[in-house]
Amino acid sequence: MKKQGTNKSNYGSTLRAMAVIGLLLTVIGIMAFGVNNSDTPKVGAESPLPVVKKDSIASVKAFKQVYTVLTSARCMNCHPSGNIPLQGDDSHLHTMSPQRGIDGKGIYAMKCANCHQAINTPGLHTPPGNPNWHLPPANMKMVFQGRTPHQLAKQLIDPKQNGNKDFKKLIAHADDGLVLSGWNPGEGRTLPPMSYAAFKKAWITWLSTGAYAPKGK
Amino acid sequence: MSVSNISRRNFLRAAGLTGTALFVGLYFPANAEEAKVAGADAVEATDIELNAWVHIDTDGKVTIFSHRAEMGQGAYQSVPQIVAEELEVNLEDINIRFAQGDRQKYGNQVTGGSSTIRGSYKNLLKLGASAREMLIAAAAAKWTVPASECYAEAGHVIHRPSAKKFHYGELVEAASKLSAPKDVVLKKRPEYKLIGKPLKRQDTPLKTNGSAVFGLDFKLPGMLYAVVERNPRLRGKLKSFDATAALKVPGVKKVFKIQTGVFQTFRDGVAVVADSTWSAMQGRKALIIEWDDSGFEHISTDEIYHRQSELLKTEEGLSVRKQGDPDTLLNSAAQKLDVIYETPYQSHSAMEPLNCIAYYQPDKLEIWGPIQAPEWVQDFICTQFKLPREKVVINMTFLGGGFGRKAFMDYPHEACLISKETGTPVQVVWTREDDMTQGPYRAGISYRCQGAIKDGQFIAFKLKAAGQNIYHWMGAPKTQPNRSISEGFLAPYYKSIKDLSIADIPFETPIPNVWWRSVYASTNGFAYESFMNEMAHLAGKDPLDFRREYLKEEREQKLMDKMEELSGWKNRKKGEGFGLAITECFSTTVGQVVKVSRKSDGKISIDKVWAVMDCGWYVNPDIIHAQVEGSILMALGAATKHEITFKDGLVEQRNFYNYIMPRINDMPEVAVHVMDNDENAGGVGEPGLPPFAPALTEAIFDLTGKRIRKLPFKLDEV
Amino acid sequence: MTNITVNGKQHQIDADPNMPLLWVIRDIIGLTGTKYGCGVAQCGACVVHLNGEAVRSCVTKLSRVQAQQVVTIEGLSANNDHPVQLAWNEEQVPQCGYCHSGQIMSAAVLLRENPNPNDADIDAGMAGNICRCGTYQRIRKAIHSAAEMQRKGGASK
Repeated sequence: MKKQGTNKSNYGSTLRAMAVIGLLLTVIGIMAFGVNNSDTPKVGAESPLPVVKKDSIASVKAFKQVYTVLTSARCMNCHPSGNIPLQGDDSHLHTMSPQRGIDGKGIYAMKCANCHQAINTPGLHTPPGNPNWHLPPANMKMVFQGRTPHQLAKQLIDPKQNGNKDFKKLIAHADDGLVLSGWNPGEGRTLPPMSYAAFKKAWITWLSTGAYAPKGK
Repeated sequence: MSVSNISRRNFLRAAGLTGTALFVGLYFPANAEEAKVAGADAVEATDIELNAWVHIDTDGKVTIFSHRAEMGQGAYQSVPQIVAEELEVNLEDINIRFAQGDRQKYGNQVTGGSSTIRGSYKNLLKLGASAREMLIAAAAAKWTVPASECYAEAGHVIHRPSAKKFHYGELVEAASKLSAPKDVVLKKRPEYKLIGKPLKRQDTPLKTNGSAVFGLDFKLPGMLYAVVERNPRLRGKLKSFDATAALKVPGVKKVFKIQTGVFQTFRDGVAVVADSTWSAMQGRKALIIEWDDSGFEHISTDEIYHRQSELLKTEEGLSVRKQGDPDTLLNSAAQKLDVIYETPYQSHSAMEPLNCIAYYQPDKLEIWGPIQAPEWVQDFICTQFKLPREKVVINMTFLGGGFGRKAFMDYPHEACLISKETGTPVQVVWTREDDMTQGPYRAGISYRCQGAIKDGQFIAFKLKAAGQNIYHWMGAPKTQPNRSISEGFLAPYYKSIKDLSIADIPFETPIPNVWWRSVYASTNGFAYESFMNEMAHLAGKDPLDFRREYLKEEREQKLMDKMEELSGWKNRKKGEGFGLAITECFSTTVGQVVKVSRKSDGKISIDKVWAVMDCGWYVNPDIIHAQVEGSILMALGAATKHEITFKDGLVEQRNFYNYIMPRINDMPEVAVHVMDNDENAGGVGEPGLPPFAPALTEAIFDLTGKRIRKLPFKLDEV
Repeated sequence: MTNITVNGKQHQIDADPNMPLLWVIRDIIGLTGTKYGCGVAQCGACVVHLNGEAVRSCVTKLSRVQAQQVVTIEGLSANNDHPVQLAWNEEQVPQCGYCHSGQIMSAAVLLRENPNPNDADIDAGMAGNICRCGTYQRIRKAIHSAAEMQRKGGASK
């Protein structure tokens, strides 16, 4: 697997190319979050904030890619429909039934960090690691499991459901350490269906072309 | 000085017991059925060796050497509870020590077959009573009063008319010069002060603060740690290995090949010895090994069950029991059933993985470990190393679970082999993966049951079993049937079902097998009792009423009355499924009723289990309750959670991530009732296990109409 | 060298920083109450408190514990009298006893954070600890009993 740095620079140049085209639009309706002009247009250290140009066809196409990643075991396992995370490539219920808790970090003797270290524990079927391992918190469960593409797209951009993330924060979320760790899942675990770079490109394309939701229920 | 005298003194010194004391033990005269009690004089005068020692020092402190392992079943509590009853001492004044493994001294020490109490309680009562009588006699002599005017209570002998009393400690010197009484009068059950009471276990405090010493916790000065890489295809051979990288791992001291006994065969392995368990594990990862897998390449679970099913169709097998002519009746019957039940291979998976410490010295080979069968280990090690018995010392620690696996000799053998090579004390540690992938396992068995009903009566029953025979591994002739295939089945059925046959179809695989909690009853029970339920339905009868027709004896009738009363068998509500089963093993009968329902999410929930146990005379009802609760949970795991499967000659399960253990959220409410009677004591550690699975599947049938004949099944998928 | 504090006592550990805390505690410091059960954070036999949290020492590297506070079963109380320990004795929970160091350490965190747990809370807090002997029903009872002791400010029975 490529290192993160490599991905970022590839992605950066793609974005810069994209940014040339666009006008910044304040989107209402489908894209139910505002983007504040005055904010520094940066994501992470180097990425300029993409300009939004509505293109429903490109947007839906990009989201379909995003959807395959979000509903893959590596992402969906920590975005379960219940309060217990899933495990394994077959997304079975986590064997010891840890509960989400209010902050998403588990409860009592069953807090995520009690087993999940800052880095992956070596070996098959050992706890994968991240310094900030958690589920979405109880007030923003951000369920992926069982969501249709339409539902998931709507949900992702709904500030009431996405933890009040605006366009900028959504873009930034692609660089979240825990999102990235989906591509470093520990021994024996299948990777998401595309590279991180391809995912991030699709994610930003989807958002910056209007964050359209695929048709359907 | 006689031989026995030397060994006694050595024994006492080794146990830290010196100075004046009274010690009393049992011995088994040649060809005698009952043990005799003997004191010091007999030991000094003859060559007899005592077992089950009671030792009382001049402070009145009582030490009892438990001849059996403590692996959770409560021997540590129930053995002293029996002795203290007749010895008339407070339980808290008793110290219990694990006896060393020595058949000559302690007789049968194998902790298995639920035999600790049922096999020795009469002798233990006699032992306590004899010591008490010797102390009374000593006191009476000091006071020059008749012994009949004296009695013992709470560690004292009291002269009834004068109320004078002696502390036991004041009497031991005089008592130690007396002969053990020839006969003693034992108490009647109503006179018991300790027996039959739910007294707290003396080992509990040790197990709540980390001070209990399990095998894995025992340490010796200069001890090294070893792990062994073994052929993943069970018992396979080693072609070659390269230890260069392993030896570069910090802490790794030595790497070498060993050959460990597995029954009458050997398993090759490469031992990595280091200064910590972790370093040894890291060294092991760095090994480069080429295995010779011949013989194991193609074993798979599908193939095993396919072969069993073919055998059940085509073979009649070796007869275990045959009465009347079931075949003719089955051929002519209008109402009949012919079904197959399948049960899986299982791992013991005690929470304490296998481990053992050995120190091979020029004059002595000493072993410490969690060992269920010290005398077998002693036998095996003596043979393997060509050492006389007195040079092989086996010390028992607490066992972190055993379930039958720790009555096996391979892991002590490994420790001895490694210590011999290093010349230091060594602890060999099996990882969880080693423990799960190396066997031996409970055998998975398929059963074909055929039965005929005529006029509502169960007139003919034929059972054939195809599954591996543990005893073949121990050298039993393959022309003889596995008689254990009838274990679990209730003996009264032999009387009430006149035409009946049970046969064993010999079945071999290269997979080693060993007893697993409740042994063959654990799988047989599922077949026998599921079939009994199915036949009840075929006859159009309630499964409990149906059984009443075939279990006419008073003890069984009372047991069924209790099951009916406690569970409200006849008063089930809509949406509740009830199922029952009754099995007998190790001289104890257990009936269980399981209640299930569907949760709001549509999944099956096990709401409650009622268990009624008739184990005859018993010691500690709370320990019995605990054993039954635990047996039910273990049965639940084996029925609905886990199994050992094979693919391409490899065990597929490696650790608790794919051998799924029941957890606290899987535990149903369990209510246990122990029948009160004075019949001979039966076992309590295992008989609670076999009835659960057939009672559960019957409850599911009652609720859903779906009959489950293959274990394990997933509750969520019913 | 890694500095760690175990049960209030400071230790300078000269070992591979990747060595799991479990083996440091057992083989180097010599406290054997903390058990090895699975090595992959499945069974909970190795639970210790790291800065008050019930971590699994079999997957916690020594390096994570540098300058941190560790409490093992031996350090949970001075006299085997933490309410959970008393309740374990009261309800006669252990059979073989091997898993119970971990069970007790987990239960102590549960009760600290939820002084009045119901059965569902107990199941949620304790499902990480496997007991092969099947003492779960008694664990539930004992945690209720410990909660009661805690409320009354000491041993209740």
